[in-house]
Amino acid sequence: MVSLKFTLSPEASVKIHDALLCLTKFSESVSIEARQDKLSLTALNSSKSAYASVSLEASRFFSSYSCVPSQGSTEGRFTCRLYNKALLSVFKGRVADARGRESAIDRCEVSVQERPDEAECRLVVKMVHNQGVTKTYKLTYESVEVMHALFDKNMAQNRWKIHSGCLKEYIEYFGPKTEQLDIYSEDGRVTFMSFTEKISDGKNILKHPLQTAVSASTADFEEFSAQEKLHIVISVKDFKAIVTHADNLRAEISACYSQPTRPLQFSYGGEGMHCEFTLMTAGDYRGTPAPAPSHAVASRSISRAQSTASARTDNHPAPVEMPPPSEAGSRVSTHRNKVPGSTRPPASSNLQRLQSDPEPLFVPLEEEDRRWDPAVFRDEEETLGWDASADNDNAPHHIFRDTAPAARSATDDNTEGLAPTQRVSQIRGLW
Amino acid sequence: MATTPSADRDDDPPLFGAVSSSARQLYQLLRCIAFAPKAQVSISEEGLRFSVEEHSIMEGLAFLDKSLFTSYNFAPHSSTAATNDAVSDASTSDDPPVFQISLVALLETLQIFNIADPPGGRPGYPSSFTTGPTAFDNRVLGLTSTCRLSYAQPGAPLCVILEEAGVTTTCELTTYEPAAAAGDIPFARDQLALKIIMRASWLHDAVTELASTSPERLTLTASADPVGFALGATGSLGSAVMDFRSDLPSTVTASSAGFSSLLETFTLAPTYHKPGRKLRNSYKFASIRAASRAMAVATKVSIRADEQGVLSLQFMIEVDGGKVSFVDFRFVPLVDEDAEDEEREQEAGP
Repeated sequence: MVSLKFTLSPEASVKIHDALLCLTKFSESVSIEARQDKLSLTALNSSKSAYASVSLEASRFFSSYSCVPSQGSTEGRFTCRLYNKALLSVFKGRVADARGRESAIDRCEVSVQERPDEAECRLVVKMVHNQGVTKTYKLTYESVEVMHALFDKNMAQNRWKIHSGCLKEYIEYFGPKTEQLDIYSEDGRVTFMSFTEKISDGKNILKHPLQTAVSASTADFEEFSAQEKLHIVISVKDFKAIVTHADNLRAEISACYSQPTRPLQFSYGGEGMHCEFTLMTAGDYRGTPAPAPSHAVASRSISRAQSTASARTDNHPAPVEMPPPSEAGSRVSTHRNKVPGSTRPPASSNLQRLQSDPEPLFVPLEEEDRRWDPAVFRDEEETLGWDASADNDNAPHHIFRDTAPAARSATDDNTEGLAPTQRVSQIRGLW
Repeated sequence: MATTPSADRDDDPPLFGAVSSSARQLYQLLRCIAFAPKAQVSISEEGLRFSVEEHSIMEGLAFLDKSLFTSYNFAPHSSTAATNDAVSDASTSDDPPVFQISLVALLETLQIFNIADPPGGRPGYPSSFTTGPTAFDNRVLGLTSTCRLSYAQPGAPLCVILEEAGVTTTCELTTYEPAAAAGDIPFARDQLALKIIMRASWLHDAVTELASTSPERLTLTASADPVGFALGATGSLGSAVMDFRSDLPSTVTASSAGFSSLLETFTLAPTYHKPGRKLRNSYKFASIRAASRAMAVATKVSIRADEQGVLSLQFMIEVDGGKVSFVDFRFVPLVDEDAEDEEREQEAGP
């Protein structure tokens, strides 16, 4: 058990509110993990394809912070999960106060009431006003282990960095109903294209196709080094939430990613707050003649990507090979649960990448870890990696330790018999 | 058919007739108590009294003083007794006329020209109440408006005539028999347990905050040491307590210049002055919340509770033109067995 207590200045509590507002776009619940040196607020969406984390430095962000492990305990962590709505309503209102209403708070004290002699475990938030008003909220929480997405920055060679103000301008042009965002660069211009695929059921058109493309020169970026014509597709909603929050902080957003179907990470921060968003991506190399028809290209855990991917295969006229629809979403989640903190073997083996890069693409797995890998190869696919383990001492915090050469060869064998350009619809019957 | 009071006086003078230069003032006050569809109206020499009640546990009262009207005529002992039959003869003794009216319809009528002012009022934004007229307000545009109310005799409809910029709207609102058991909630003014005067916006803020926990009941606690009171609520997501404390010693009970700006007045009955003793009452949260419209627009609120726990909230509302009006609410407490047990334990203890 840990005794956790911290105090926030009015500005910091407004920042917490902004962060919660951003996290609420990902999930209705927010997880709190307190360590001795930092506190992190995380949200994981229901399809586990997007992970958002806001970590607050103990020494810089808080007026005072103490997270002390109780006697005899070595684990200095407090983790819990609660409804974001409840937290938001606590920190709400303070936003208007920052604009000069007289009910502005003086400070905000947060502590955890979790003692054996107390019947109720509560997260206690105390808003202290100058004029003698104190608002005390005791929120119920769920004691859970917090999951973090693992992301290996070393593997992500495509990087760019841009001021959030620019991106904020771009997202305003995105059609309100568009769902996905394709980001690619070509001839010194970066294009952000938001789109919705047409979905029809017989005569009924369920979704009208819609596309909005905003393109900007790479000169607008602070830093840009990404592969040309590499299409990376994420959700517009997530992107908007991230950009809006970053714009509030007037921060510069960095993105890094390796290739479609691998996670992409946005990060920004400042003044003791560091935000990281790890998103699963879809997409392909549109510019290349023969993309690998690997059966496990798309992130199958993204249910929305699933449906649109299949729609594309069936309806989209573009001569682009798309991954087949997922067939085993539930299976994925079950074996993910079996190997928490372990790694996912890669599934997507992009032929082009393999040819051009003879070096192993992935960090080799430790022998010990591989023993826990599921013995299934066929459905191996990319998902976010999880780390729910308490001790991250031997590994950096956010790492995507992916790879398993063995699994990859199995994958390759499997796809050998297919001509690279065969329609996915034709091969679907094979498995 | 805009009939003027002078024209009325010629043939059959109505029992009641009044002219206001601003229907808005009436609307602003009556909107505060619009938590039930029907209001009971009683007319007297001093003004119009609108009362609204809900299940006999909550009561709202708005008094439209005659000073709000440019002309106010009330003739209880006029020719009505002579011309009408024996039934109305009996009723027009000294009792002021009482009838019920659809408050929803009356409010609709009064704001028929005020389409620029959305009745909902966005939360977090000051209403035009406090900021004054907007650029599109008729007073700014130089349009004059009048509102005439008349009630000819018992049983007759309440006639509301609104004139604005040459457009006249005449509404006849059906009046209903007064409710049988239309007694006010008894409130013992001479046995006050608690009296607080503070800015209404604080109360509004507190009730809005508590609403986020979607609670069933609101608990009011007050203590003399430290001086202050608290509003608490418990909902499914947790509990919240709004504490209003003053650092001054408990001996200060009257308003004084040095008193905290938070509580203008704080008086707690001597029985609660013993250490550890607390005043504690619970009310239905939804009822208290029904008064939040008044909390939002009022400048000051007087919170009083009598020995039985009946809560009275009196709001001082500045209407357009700088006049001050009052809107009252009364709430019957919920029987809180737990709290009573606790108090007994506390009394039994040292």
